[in-house]
Amino acid sequence: MSSAYARREDERLLSGRGRFVADMHMPGCLEAAFVRSPVAHGRLREVGCAAARLVPGVAGAWAAADLSAVSSCAVPAIGLPDLPPVPPTLLAGLSTPGAVAGRDWPVLATDRVRYAGEAVAVVVGEDRYRAEDGAAEVKVVIDPLPAMVDTATALESPVTLFEGLSNVALEGSAGRPIDETVWREAAVVVEARYRQQVLLPTPMECRVFLAAPTVDGLTVWCSHQMPHRLHRELAALLRCPPDRIRVIVPDSGGAFGSKSPTFPEYIVAAHLALRLGRPVRWVEDRMESLLAATRGRGQDQRVRLAADADGHLLAYELAIDADVGAYPHLGSGLPLQTARMATGPYTTPRVHATVRSVLTNTMMTYPYRGAGRPEATAALERTVDEVARRLGLDPAELRRRNLIPPGSFPYDTPTGRRYDSGDYAAALELALRTLDYDGWRAEQARRRADPAARPLGIGLACYVERSGGEPGGLHEFGGVEACPDGTFVARCGGAAAGQSHETTFTDLVSEVLSVPATRVRLVEGDTGEVAEGMGSYASRTAQIGGAALQRAAKALIEQARLRAATLWELPVAEVAWSGGVLRPVRGVSPGLSLGELVRATGPLRVDERFEGDMAFPFGTHAAVVEIDPDLGSVHVLRLVAVDDCGVVLNPAAVHGQALGSAVQGIGQALYEGVPYDEAGVPLLPNGLLDYLLPTFAEVPPIEVLTTITPTPVTPLGAKGAGESGCIGTPAAIINAVADALRLPDPTLIQMPLTPDVVWRAARAAQGGFGGDGGTEGDQGVEGGR
Amino acid sequence: MRITLSVNGREHPLEVEPRRALADVLREDCRLTGTHLGCELGVCGACTVLLDGEAVRSCLVLAVQCDGRSIRTVEGLAGPDGRPHPLQEAFSAEHALQCGFCTPGFLMVAAAALEDDPGLADDPERLEAVVGSNLCRCTGYTPIHRAVVRAARARAGRIGRREHTLHDEPEGRDADGS
Repeated sequence: MSSAYARREDERLLSGRGRFVADMHMPGCLEAAFVRSPVAHGRLREVGCAAARLVPGVAGAWAAADLSAVSSCAVPAIGLPDLPPVPPTLLAGLSTPGAVAGRDWPVLATDRVRYAGEAVAVVVGEDRYRAEDGAAEVKVVIDPLPAMVDTATALESPVTLFEGLSNVALEGSAGRPIDETVWREAAVVVEARYRQQVLLPTPMECRVFLAAPTVDGLTVWCSHQMPHRLHRELAALLRCPPDRIRVIVPDSGGAFGSKSPTFPEYIVAAHLALRLGRPVRWVEDRMESLLAATRGRGQDQRVRLAADADGHLLAYELAIDADVGAYPHLGSGLPLQTARMATGPYTTPRVHATVRSVLTNTMMTYPYRGAGRPEATAALERTVDEVARRLGLDPAELRRRNLIPPGSFPYDTPTGRRYDSGDYAAALELALRTLDYDGWRAEQARRRADPAARPLGIGLACYVERSGGEPGGLHEFGGVEACPDGTFVARCGGAAAGQSHETTFTDLVSEVLSVPATRVRLVEGDTGEVAEGMGSYASRTAQIGGAALQRAAKALIEQARLRAATLWELPVAEVAWSGGVLRPVRGVSPGLSLGELVRATGPLRVDERFEGDMAFPFGTHAAVVEIDPDLGSVHVLRLVAVDDCGVVLNPAAVHGQALGSAVQGIGQALYEGVPYDEAGVPLLPNGLLDYLLPTFAEVPPIEVLTTITPTPVTPLGAKGAGESGCIGTPAAIINAVADALRLPDPTLIQMPLTPDVVWRAARAAQGGFGGDGGTEGDQGVEGGR
Repeated sequence: MRITLSVNGREHPLEVEPRRALADVLREDCRLTGTHLGCELGVCGACTVLLDGEAVRSCLVLAVQCDGRSIRTVEGLAGPDGRPHPLQEAFSAEHALQCGFCTPGFLMVAAAALEDDPGLADDPERLEAVVGSNLCRCTGYTPIHRAVVRAARARAGRIGRREHTLHDEPEGRDADGS
């Protein structure tokens, strides 16, 4: 590594020598284009590919029915079945057998389309231009059915997405039902409804998949968070012995939760590569991605929060109707994460959360950065602010009275979580001090006394989230090998998409071994090189993968000492390790480097499978906003993010991810959302000109600070990082806007807080709709949809 | 059509269809894959290259429009001796990239602005326009802003190769308190 660069990843990425899947040159490779449904719901009458096959440069075109007619597998070792359906995500309860039963997700639609953008045919050509020429000639006939793109419509509709089966795919709960007397006897009860709008994760690199047949199997390159899962599922779907498939994740252009399934397009491309005996690549373009990549959030929530006259929270109820999309295969269980995290950082003794996962005619909802925790935080924090307003208490003071105290850990919540460690009040106080909370309150008071001044609001959000994964997925692979040349190879089951694993993990291993980082190399994201792995999702790689590597490196030192002891005929206690060199404790021997030991005694390698537990990062975000009541525009004047992710392995990486996720949180609060037309088609005809990602112009001054409370669940002490901004920031901003507008009812504004939404809410808050606001004010309340 | 592109000082005689975008020809015909495609509609700017010194979205330019013209891509940013461009050093030092997919576009749009205006570091509006012209989903932009300022100052010889610190915040946009 050149010392000119701060990260190991940087030199290649800054010089154009990164290796993304779309960059790979593969002779004879066919490029795939998919023909997609132009409507959200309908009966598929005809998919005609004959004309497409005549287009010059097109190598083939198939609808679902045509694929079984393709010649048998070009690789003799593989007993390729007919095109299988998309596998459900049973991992971590993201889906359940009950939700999936009778609701197969075909990789190409067969008799019915259930979301706009669903693939109905595939065309492969010598390049993407030819493939798209062919796709334009595919004839598709669909008889439309009523489109249900929100939960309310899908719950009421007599039409169901799957005949004979309910549009409710899954129901679940966390905590126990709360007795009515609690609500009756409380000093204050706030009820509200919130919409957590649908968001598009939008990594800068869309999905991409390349499958190339080998002599006896298949090699796959994919921008993916879980290469071993993709490997396992492809092997099962293609009926291929696992050792004949290799999945490689080269450079990956971002994921944010959206790149861990085995998508229908991947199955089609792998299937065709084997059938045709040629490499097949699919490079999703942005317009496809906006239609057919997974979405995040999508919850309609009803809440009740009770407090006594002193502001002590007594009971909290959260009912979620989750819009999980057309097939319950990927994220129908994800909203249960919101239910389990409903308690938040408070000592509220009674909490009950219920979930209905509702099928709609939209692409699937799936984890997007935060994945269930932003929805929990936004609902609770908005409601807490309203309790404070009703009681005439400062929102910071109300939180102080309810935060779980540092001496209470491990803390068992009423919704079934065991929080590992925390000092929630310390994060709140640091955020308040850094923001100059009292100073801004004084400024707010000054402006409220001045009719000409623009309204100013201050918003807080205290959050606690979960990192590491769910039971059954709390382990990770980490291995360290000493090479004869004195270098080391670290292997990890994760797969980076920008999180600096190469830098962070080589530093970690070199530190444990006390050797220079330049002698350590990281291998990950390759099922041919790493025996097993879970992957990089749920903020788990530093926490669990890091702990695995730490343990492996320590075990390597112990094994090396043992070998040297045998070689020198000494008790192991008399062999010391320092700086990569073994020495007898006594005497003046120059010792033995690890490279020399390996040359003398043979390969030395430790592979560890570390089983950890969930951890619970936390923090407080605080925002100051100014509103232009005439335009409805929101200006974020300042944002403070205090995050605690336990022991920090790489401060620059953690800081960078906290900042990046805070900006994604600003996008969620103010700009991003997916409107649908009457036919259930996302209204994003101009791509990223319609789906508004924040640019530099929208970034306010942001201060990112860290408190450090190690987790006791691993020896390393690190909790997950990188999702905090999506969890804390949206709630802080929306609370600040509500504070600025002095809203009498939190239901009056829903994200994204576009000028339209804010303008209407400002008029509603003034108690009248002043002229042209009129009855349309009610539409503004729905916000973003 | 037969055309010749001069890319990073090297002549590429090519036979291309008139409909092919410059980005695709650079990536597939010239095998210069450092130029990335993020949206293909000219919004994200990941595909930005210099055409006769001017930053353009190469997804919105047809290759045949560039016949005989000079193109510079991220592969041509470093000096002929392989020495990194000040922007490349500054982006690394300021952690202005994470996944790196959008990075070539930001480097090229900033390179054009730097060539055009050596006093860029002292022109906040121009800086804002440069950094605001492309999309990044990882960094939150302020590190990119700092990197462009750092490179502009390095180029102007005012601070030379100053050691990196997270506290370096010329515009006070991202004060790190950790």
